[in-house]
Amino acid sequence: MSLYYFDHAASAPRRDEVADAMAPWTRGVVGNPSGAHKAARDARRAVEEARDEVAAFLGAKPGGVIFTGGGTESCDLAIAGVARHHRRTHETSEILISRIEHHAVTDAAQKMARDYDDVRVGYIDVDGDGVVDLDSLMSSLSDDTAIVSVMAANNETGVRQPLDGVSALAKSIIPGGVLTHTDAIAAASWVNLANLTATTDMISICAHKIGGPVNAGALILRGDVGLEAVIPGGGQERGRRGGTVDVAAAVGLAAAVRVTVRELAEVTDRVLDLQEKLVAAVSLIPGCRVTGLGALRVPGTVHVTFEDLASDELLFLLDQEGVCASAAASCSSGAADPSHVLAAMGVSHERARGSLRLSMGAETTDEDVDAVIAILSGVVYKLRAEA
Amino acid sequence: MSGGVDSSVAAGLLLEQGHEVVGATLKLWGGASDSGCCSVADVDDARRVAQMLGIDHHVFNYTEEFERHVVAPFVEAYAAGRSPNPCIECNRQIKFDLLFERARRLGFDAVATGHHAQVLARDGAHFLIRGADDQKDQSYVLGYLREDQLATLLLPIGAMHKSDVRRHAERLGLRTWDKPDSQDVCFIEASKGRGVFLRQRIELTPATIVDAASGEEIGATNSAELMTVGQRRGVLPARDGERRFVARVDLEARRVEVGRLEEILINEIALDESSLTFSHADLVDGSAILAQWSAHGVAKGATLRRGPSWRLELDAPARPVAAGQSVVFYRVSEPTIVEGAAIVAVS
Repeated sequence: MSLYYFDHAASAPRRDEVADAMAPWTRGVVGNPSGAHKAARDARRAVEEARDEVAAFLGAKPGGVIFTGGGTESCDLAIAGVARHHRRTHETSEILISRIEHHAVTDAAQKMARDYDDVRVGYIDVDGDGVVDLDSLMSSLSDDTAIVSVMAANNETGVRQPLDGVSALAKSIIPGGVLTHTDAIAAASWVNLANLTATTDMISICAHKIGGPVNAGALILRGDVGLEAVIPGGGQERGRRGGTVDVAAAVGLAAAVRVTVRELAEVTDRVLDLQEKLVAAVSLIPGCRVTGLGALRVPGTVHVTFEDLASDELLFLLDQEGVCASAAASCSSGAADPSHVLAAMGVSHERARGSLRLSMGAETTDEDVDAVIAILSGVVYKLRAEA
Repeated sequence: MSGGVDSSVAAGLLLEQGHEVVGATLKLWGGASDSGCCSVADVDDARRVAQMLGIDHHVFNYTEEFERHVVAPFVEAYAAGRSPNPCIECNRQIKFDLLFERARRLGFDAVATGHHAQVLARDGAHFLIRGADDQKDQSYVLGYLREDQLATLLLPIGAMHKSDVRRHAERLGLRTWDKPDSQDVCFIEASKGRGVFLRQRIELTPATIVDAASGEEIGATNSAELMTVGQRRGVLPARDGERRFVARVDLEARRVEVGRLEEILINEIALDESSLTFSHADLVDGSAILAQWSAHGVAKGATLRRGPSWRLELDAPARPVAAGQSVVFYRVSEPTIVEGAAIVAVS
């Protein structure tokens, strides 16, 4: 049976170039980059070269790049790190996040509010297409706001967010300005991040959504950001993230960034065509609604809902036909949970329960898309015939 | 697949019999649990067993349905003075209704579970019968199944004793999965109990405890809902030093009547007509049956009566049964065969 991989948004295929770059750092002597001998120096050089490359990807300074153990840790460091720093000098600290953030952000913010009485979480509304409402942001900003976090593109729907507008408000409404963070993890394969995040103070990225290894990510700071380490031990990464820097992970992240940048224009163009074709085809399936159709979306993601079908059943039958897809919102047990993103968009509960995300990437072909269109149509027909 | 030894072995045996098997675990309860059922850890165990057997495994989320069909009615029943069995409702509404429906839509021929009970095919009909291991028999919790469900149900370990199941587990290389059997209600933390759970959702009723025979007030409780008819638990000894049993709970009057065992025995059990289910042929007024009203109870002789409402006349007096519990009917001539079930009504 052929395998049709339509779950790039969950984890993108590992690129050969990445594996090759990492290989020397995965066996034999790999020095601790903090050491004072040749092996350590070699390791340190590899880490710093990787740091330069990641910095260039974001148009940031190398000193602003903090290597982390992945996207979730990056988001957590931004949210918790800024809030902890802020509450040292403020009576009340508010973490302002959009209602459609990934759990990496929402859970970090909610944990801070649980742990500290003087920290609270505020939420920015989105419209029916899943785009952050700047009026809502404007009315939510206050003197207590420590950080505003709005993702660059949503991981479930692929809908892109107005980061320039977010920054403009965060910097102008409150005297002195408020720090901004963006979870750019779902956007990183598809946009020029240096341009898109030029006015954002902190950017979280991770490697495995762009063809690199898991457990490799970075939080990138532009300029001077007050941040308290979440993992202080050892003082690595200029005291902002303790623990021995993983050379292979850093090199892998940099290699994934390199491939992404090199292929960006070509891949984006080609996958945009595939997205158009897929959207046109699924729109013909009765009762199938494409999510965020009125908004700018990343090319790789097509999110749809069915009012009369259950995600669990769609995914089961797609899996039987070799299609790897997702309901986009999942919980720790592996079961699909109702999506907070769709709820924030005002999508009905019945529709949200019939969610399906098909996400594509660099190696997705026209034939893959033809196949998935045929299989999905068949699966929907079968489920309705049996109902 | 719960991650426990019974469903794991059931899957393994079906695979050996040449069936094409897919494992499914139901995610039912999102809240805290310590009972060894439905938790993330159990889903992980089930997934690992499926991996070891080399079969696909899927997790189906029925959290909302579980809340709607099992947890909410459980709480409502307590608030109305009944003591339901949520495991029976879960089997009835979720496992053997929604899951069966889903399995059919997804193209499966049968659903198998690791219950200790058996399906007997005879003359084109299917009968639910007790599991071979009478210590583990679970036919009681499956008592509401009907012919159409029994016809597509496989119970691969029903003919085995638990020790045989464990032996098969070892043979199949699943011996690390000899988890203790789950006994408790999955959404109630055993360490905290029913009271803690119910108090999160409803206000419990304080009541006076009255001796049924003398009318004398002998104590008080701050949670009459937790006093289960027929039980001795929670009732302090009366002045004579003798323990009493709960005979009646009247939430409206805030009054719990207790009495000596011989004072409170009952001769009949009222049945809720809307819950009455016959596995196969309808039983009629005057049918003699064996009635069992707790998971590990002994079936006792009784006669089904129709009258103005359905009830059971007991052959011998018995301790009172709490409204909301289920009675499962077994055949007199073949006492392992299930004939039907009904919920005990408030009498």
